[in-house]
Amino acid sequence: MSITAVLRIVVLLLVLMPLVSALILPMLGRWSRRAALLLALVHGGLTAAVVALAIPTLALRADDDARRGSGSLVFQPEFVPGDTYARFNDEGSDGRTRWTLFRLSANSSQPGPNIQFFLGIDGLNLWLVALASFLLVPAILISWNTVADQPGSYFGWLFLLQAGLIGCFLAFDVILFYVFFELTLIPAFFLIGRWGVGSGRRDAARKFFLYTLAGSLLTLLGIIGVVLTNPVPVHPETGFPTQNVLVKVEVPDAGSPTGKSREFVWAKRIHTFSLPDLMNAVPRWLTAEKAAQTALTEAQREMELAQALVRAGEKELAQRRAALEAARQGKDGAAIRAAEAAEQHALQMLNDWRANWQAAVRLSDSATKLLPEARRLQANASQLQFWLFVALMAGLMVKVPVWPFHTWLPAAYGEAPIGVVMLLSGLMAKLGTFGMVRLVLPLVPDAAIHYGLPVIGVLASVGIVYAAFCALASKDMKLLIAYSSISHLGFLVLGIFAFNSEGLSGAVLHMINHGLSTGALFAVLGFFTTRYGTTEMARFGGLMGRFPVLAVLTFVLALASVGLPGLNNFVSEMLMLAGLFRTNNPHVTNLWPAVVAAFGIFLGAWYTLTMLQRVFFNPLKEPQPIITTPVNDVNNREFSALGLLALLCLVLGLFPQLVLDTMKPDIQILANIGDAARTR
Amino acid sequence: MSEPTSLALAILALPLAAAVLAWLSAANATTKKLAHLPLILACAAAAVLAVILLGQMLDGHESRYTSEPLTWFAAGQLDVHFTITVDALATVMLGMITFIATFIALFSSGYMHGDRGYARFFAVMSFFVFSMCGLVLANNFLLLVAFWEGVGLCSYLLVGYYFEKPSAAAAARKAFLVTRLGDTGFLLGIFLLWKMGGGHTDLDLLFAHIRDHPPDPGLLTTACLLLFCGAVGKSAQFPLYVWLPDAMEGPTPVSALIHAATMVTAGVYLLARCAPLFVLCPEAQIVVAGVGGITALLAAFLALGQTDLKRILAYSTVSQLGYMFMALGTGGAISPAFAVGAAMFHLFTHAFFKALLFLSAGSVMHAMGNVIDITRFSGLRKVLPITHLTFLCGAAALAGVPLLSGFWSKDLILESLTEASESASPYSAGYFVLFLNACLTAGLTAFYTFRAYFLTFWGPEKIPAEAGDHAHESPRSMTIPLMVLAVGAVFVGGVVQPFTHWFSDFLGTSPSLTETQAPIARAVEHHLNWTLISISASLAIAGIVLAYVLYRDGQEKPLGGIDTLLALSRNKLYVDEVYYALIVRPAEVLAFLVRVFDGFLDGLTRLVAAMPRLLAALIRPLQNGLVQFYALAMALGLTVFVAFVIFRMAR
Repeated sequence: MSITAVLRIVVLLLVLMPLVSALILPMLGRWSRRAALLLALVHGGLTAAVVALAIPTLALRADDDARRGSGSLVFQPEFVPGDTYARFNDEGSDGRTRWTLFRLSANSSQPGPNIQFFLGIDGLNLWLVALASFLLVPAILISWNTVADQPGSYFGWLFLLQAGLIGCFLAFDVILFYVFFELTLIPAFFLIGRWGVGSGRRDAARKFFLYTLAGSLLTLLGIIGVVLTNPVPVHPETGFPTQNVLVKVEVPDAGSPTGKSREFVWAKRIHTFSLPDLMNAVPRWLTAEKAAQTALTEAQREMELAQALVRAGEKELAQRRAALEAARQGKDGAAIRAAEAAEQHALQMLNDWRANWQAAVRLSDSATKLLPEARRLQANASQLQFWLFVALMAGLMVKVPVWPFHTWLPAAYGEAPIGVVMLLSGLMAKLGTFGMVRLVLPLVPDAAIHYGLPVIGVLASVGIVYAAFCALASKDMKLLIAYSSISHLGFLVLGIFAFNSEGLSGAVLHMINHGLSTGALFAVLGFFTTRYGTTEMARFGGLMGRFPVLAVLTFVLALASVGLPGLNNFVSEMLMLAGLFRTNNPHVTNLWPAVVAAFGIFLGAWYTLTMLQRVFFNPLKEPQPIITTPVNDVNNREFSALGLLALLCLVLGLFPQLVLDTMKPDIQILANIGDAARTR
Repeated sequence: MSEPTSLALAILALPLAAAVLAWLSAANATTKKLAHLPLILACAAAAVLAVILLGQMLDGHESRYTSEPLTWFAAGQLDVHFTITVDALATVMLGMITFIATFIALFSSGYMHGDRGYARFFAVMSFFVFSMCGLVLANNFLLLVAFWEGVGLCSYLLVGYYFEKPSAAAAARKAFLVTRLGDTGFLLGIFLLWKMGGGHTDLDLLFAHIRDHPPDPGLLTTACLLLFCGAVGKSAQFPLYVWLPDAMEGPTPVSALIHAATMVTAGVYLLARCAPLFVLCPEAQIVVAGVGGITALLAAFLALGQTDLKRILAYSTVSQLGYMFMALGTGGAISPAFAVGAAMFHLFTHAFFKALLFLSAGSVMHAMGNVIDITRFSGLRKVLPITHLTFLCGAAALAGVPLLSGFWSKDLILESLTEASESASPYSAGYFVLFLNACLTAGLTAFYTFRAYFLTFWGPEKIPAEAGDHAHESPRSMTIPLMVLAVGAVFVGGVVQPFTHWFSDFLGTSPSLTETQAPIARAVEHHLNWTLISISASLAIAGIVLAYVLYRDGQEKPLGGIDTLLALSRNKLYVDEVYYALIVRPAEVLAFLVRVFDGFLDGLTRLVAAMPRLLAALIRPLQNGLVQFYALAMALGLTVFVAFVIFRMAR
């Protein structure tokens, strides 16, 4: 088996392994946390292998695209399990799967709407999958001593959460995406409600569950709407997808000498749930009128040519007839016969050309007939974009969350155990932003240009400042970081809707960076909760001298979150800022998003440094510890978790180009979609 | 890679290595005591390398060497490189930074002796020097920002070095945040330049692109002013100067480093580096010069009434930086090489005497048991003979006593201002006002400097109780740096500039100063302007004499009408209070209100969520389980329906 074939299996394992782990772990009892760590490490190893092998493939693709001058508008997943060509040839691949979960068509021979188990790797999800795999390790290490009640189930739910996250990142079938998207809710609900730290945990869990579910049901509506309104145009005779919604076919025609004539007809429409196929279809319907117009122009030109030929034929015939008359005057038998033959020939030619002209007229008529319908379809598609955009965004905005749909977050983060908050803030929030990149931008591109920055951008900007002020007023570190997360994600949403290479590269990179640094900051809080059972700022002070190692690690992570150069967030923030400087958006002519974003960076420094000042500076102050053993600086377990996160922040800050290079082709695809939408 | 850039990289690598070594030394109690060695050795070696580099640049074939760019991050049109450039401007800065830092490091090894965070101190100091060297060498705007923020981080950590002191913690945060506020503008300016500069972020390419494709002047002016925001924050100019006087909460050597060689000079350097942009925008330049003028006068006024020796020095730094910005602001009206040369020359001499003054103040503080209030001690001439002399050298240089370093450089700035006021610039009148302002400031500078000097060292001997009975001169490791810097403060200005013009000629070879010429720039010849020399000399002497008359007995005494003015100065014109009331407090209140509103928003969400239940509560009574009620409802319903049907049919 070739490496690609092995990788297909490994990609499948990335989702299946956490699912299986989630089943096994509850049975292991007191061995469960060691087993959990082991399983997480094995999963990390698998992911590392995928990353290492995917990088060259993706880099190769970037080179290919650079050679071809890439204008691609469709995502191209690699290492798809169940690839259509996999059974014949290991290397050949068209990035489509043949693993169908549900067949919605009447009979199986018809290509129809199939929900498929369609997973794959591309530049956008590779690093997020890596983060989802990696972040579980520190999450388990931080939860080591905190879970007394049924640790097996706790770790099992954690793995189920991870399976949902990874599945969602990997999915290329919109329904599969939605299923994994919702799958994350169930473990999160139980983890918050059952192992939460505060008294309000059940209420928080219920609020979180219902709020996000309400939003994501709308997203499901949007997904179905997109699927229904964007069928793939298929050639009615060959059955292959066509580039055009109008196709030229031969129809039987008694009036024509050949018995057939050509007509423009609508392509057959086949519904699909495959994201790449949908991406192919969306622009077709948005340009249906243009396609019909082109067809009509083509037919009219043909008609004009035919008409000219007919005129030439008539002239020719007249000449021949004159020549015949002249020959008849001359009474030369041979000459008359020759002239008669010529006349007959000319007549025949003229008849042919007339038939040809009639065929062209018929073709043009068919195109003219379709034009109003095409115009209606295009107008329809454009108008629907707005509603689909609203529906799709509803669930994603709650998930991120974008202001003012964030009110579930402070409660959920405040009540959830630290290990879970790490995954919630580091990864689950990214499902929302990832959904925008994966679904919203490609499927409703015109609305994303029209309403993205002007409407969602305003909400995100308000959120940046609003959440920063909330963070400033928070007295609890956990709440402060929770609000800071809302603020940073507002910046990320702005970056996404800049809808250009810089903004999107920055946004996708920021998903990883923010996941690392915010996840890590919550992990730091684990230090406080395990020892003191509180994260209230007023009860701490001067810890720099008391816990020097913790201080160094916290400073690195906090400064990474502030966006200090040399650490990871700086790079992605600068890219997004650059993206906001050239949005090229007809509705946003000045630079207000960039100004708000830059001001947000300043506010970020304000509340973060305020936290550091209160907790690590000033005279020593610490509350009564909840443990009986002496309170010491970070232990080896915590040091390896936090140190690894801090190191990754530094590495990604200094050498981010590898990550940026692998995502470049796919970012380019999205940027192309954006450019196409701008010209429409 | 060409030779000078490798040398520059070596200079950059040395303090970085020192930072790592000092950090590692903290692991062990014995090595921790040696944590100062890496910094001293690295700075000394770097200073030697800088001198070699200077030699290479002097007889070099090219005026600028640029290293091969290595990609840091790139996406779309944004391409950010690790790349450094070596030219005269960078070389002078490198030499100055490493030289001053060497002696500050030596001084600190004595001053910080036995402190708990000895290793931490030297690790951060090394990183500070590294960041500053990197800032000077960076040839890419975002790389420059990286080192710029690195400098900010180190100042944050060092100002907050005594982390258990609440005032130090507050000062550290204030320093970082106020400079960060300026940096917000700086970043926006960089991206604006990126947008109109053909997608370049490398300085040389960007400048060349803007020179060849002149953008919209309004936009360019905006970009320049945004860049200037960064400089205002970092170099403590009005209105963001408030962090610098507080920043002396850190150990005194840190203040010396911040005020002399690193940090505050970064803003001046940024504008010098970006001179090719600024000379194209006369509007931006008059703003730069104006802000510099306001700052110079304001800070000099604030220094008048202070009783904290370090605070007086801090305000004098702010004021002197204002001088440099005034000079920078004349570029474009006069030839940029002259304007930038004047600013950089003052930066150069100022580094010597300000480092000297701060270290001397540190020596006083060391002897007085960390008391720094000049009203609590006096007459220290006998107790601290070496410190007294070195402080006097520094004070005289700062005051602009003729023939000392500060005199020559201040003279050059005054000259650039007079030349600008005679130029064809539309704002020549403004430059004349600034010239008068600079003269007034010069007089004030001499006065407050010598006020501090007389109050500290003259009059009857008075030593605070904290010093105990063992007030004595500092150890050798502290006095040697003082003496070296004193020599520098006295002579360095006279040696390098006034008669040979060596400094400005060398600086003038920087391509960034020669390549772009403003259309209206007035060419200026270097010559000794005797009128100016006599004006500035008499101002300096007048200030000193006035201070002598008032304070020669080492005591503050009531001065009648001026006292209210001095009290106003002592209270810093209540600027901190005003900022607190106008910015910080409203922000805090707003934050509180937003937090409250967030609860309200949550309630609103809950209300929406409760709607179905509310609706259910309204309808629920209908399903009351009484068969009679159902029968009645059925009968009523049927009646209504039948009535409706009949009514329709009848119509």
